[in-house]
Amino acid sequence: MRESIYGNHIDAMEDVMNIILGSIDELRANMAEEFGSDPVEHCRARIKSEESMREKCRRQNLPETTESALELIHDAIGIRVVCAFISDVYSVREHLTSMAKVEVVEEKDYIKHAKPNGYRSLHMILKYDNSYFVEIQLRTISMDTWAALEHHIHYKKTASENDKLIIAELKRCADELASTDMSMQTIRDMIRKEL
Amino acid sequence: MKILLAEDTLDLNNVITQMLQLQGFDVDSAFDGKEALNLALSNGYDGIILDIMMPKMTGLEVLRELRNRNIVTPVLMLTAKAEVDDRVEGLDAGADDYLTKPFAMKELLARVKALTRRGSQYAAKELSFGDITLKSESLELCSANTVRLSLKEFSLMQALLLNKEHPVENNYLVEHVWNDEDGAEEETVWLYVNFLQGKLEYIDSNVAIKGEKGGPFQVVVNE
Repeated sequence: MRESIYGNHIDAMEDVMNIILGSIDELRANMAEEFGSDPVEHCRARIKSEESMREKCRRQNLPETTESALELIHDAIGIRVVCAFISDVYSVREHLTSMAKVEVVEEKDYIKHAKPNGYRSLHMILKYDNSYFVEIQLRTISMDTWAALEHHIHYKKTASENDKLIIAELKRCADELASTDMSMQTIRDMIRKEL
Repeated sequence: MKILLAEDTLDLNNVITQMLQLQGFDVDSAFDGKEALNLALSNGYDGIILDIMMPKMTGLEVLRELRNRNIVTPVLMLTAKAEVDDRVEGLDAGADDYLTKPFAMKELLARVKALTRRGSQYAAKELSFGDITLKSESLELCSANTVRLSLKEFSLMQALLLNKEHPVENNYLVEHVWNDEDGAEEETVWLYVNFLQGKLEYIDSNVAIKGEKGGPFQVVVNE
C-alpha cells in the first residue's frame, strides 16, 4: 500500500477535529441551558479522503505531497455546522473565533453578501495551534436545504438562454428561503423578548 | 379615504369640503399652495385636489414638488382658465385629471371618487430610498443582498416608502395595507414592521424603520 498523502499526521488531525467539535458541543450545551434550545441542528466533520485530496492536488497542479495537502490546501479538515437560526450562525462564529489556540486565517461571509447564484453560507479557514488548517462552513437549515437541493439539480452553470432562466429561478428560491429564514428568526426573537 | 383640498377661494373651499365630508371623506383644507405642500408632506392622502391659481405657491408648483419627491398620490387639478395649454401643463407635471371652473359639484364628486378608486394602480414599478430598491413586479427588496417579500410585507414597505417624508400612523397602515381586514391590529402591524426590520438588516441596508409598537412608523437612512 502506498503511503498516505497525510504522512503520519492523521491521528493529530483527528485530534484537532475532535477538539473543535468538542468545543462546539460545549457551546451547544451552554446555549441549550441558557435559552432552552440547541443552536445547532447538526454538525458534520470529515478528513478529506485520500482520493479526493490527491485529485484536488492534480486539479490545482500541485505535487501530491503532504506539504500540498496540509499547507497549500486548507480543507483537509472540514467541519460543517448547520444552525437553527441566522443569529445562531453568528453565535457559533463568535465561539470558534474566540477559542484558545485558534487563529482566523480567512473569512468569507456569503450570508451578508450572498453569491450571485443565491448561495448563502459563512466560510472560515482556521488554523489550530499553529499546526493544521480547518475549513469551517456555517449556515442555517434553510441555507443548507438550498445548497443540498441545488447540488441535486444538474444544470450547466455556463448560461445558454434556457439555463439563464433556471439560474435566475434558483436564485429566486434562495431569496425566498432567505426571507422565510429571517421571518422565523423575527418570530423567535419576539417570543424570547416576551418571555 | 382622506382627501387634501387646496383652494384659496374661501366659499368654494367650504362648499367642496362639506360636500366631500357628507360623502364620507376625511378632508384637510388648505387655502394656499404652501399650506397644501406642507400638509401633503406630513400626511398620507388617498387623493389631492389642487387649484392652479393660489397665493404663495401655484397648484402646478405644488404638484411638481410632490412628484419630484416621488409622492404618487392621485391629483385632480382645478383651473379657472379653459386654456388648453394650462390643462396640458398640469397633466405633464403629473396631474391625473383636471376640471375646469365653473363645474358641477356632481362632476367633481364623481371625479374624486374615480381618482381614489384608481389610487392603488398609481404605484411606481420601483421605489428607491437610501441604498434599497423595492421592486413591485418581483416583490424584491434589494440592497447588497436581495430578499423576496410576502405580499403584505411588500405593501407595508411600499406604504412606508410612499410616505417617507413623515411618520405613518398605525391606523393608516391597517386601512391601506390590510384594507381594514378583521383581526388586523396593532400586533399584526408590529409583527410585520419587525419582519421588515429583520430583512433590512439581513440585506445589509442602511435603511431602518423607526417607531415603537402602536406606531407611528417612518423609514430612515442611518448614516
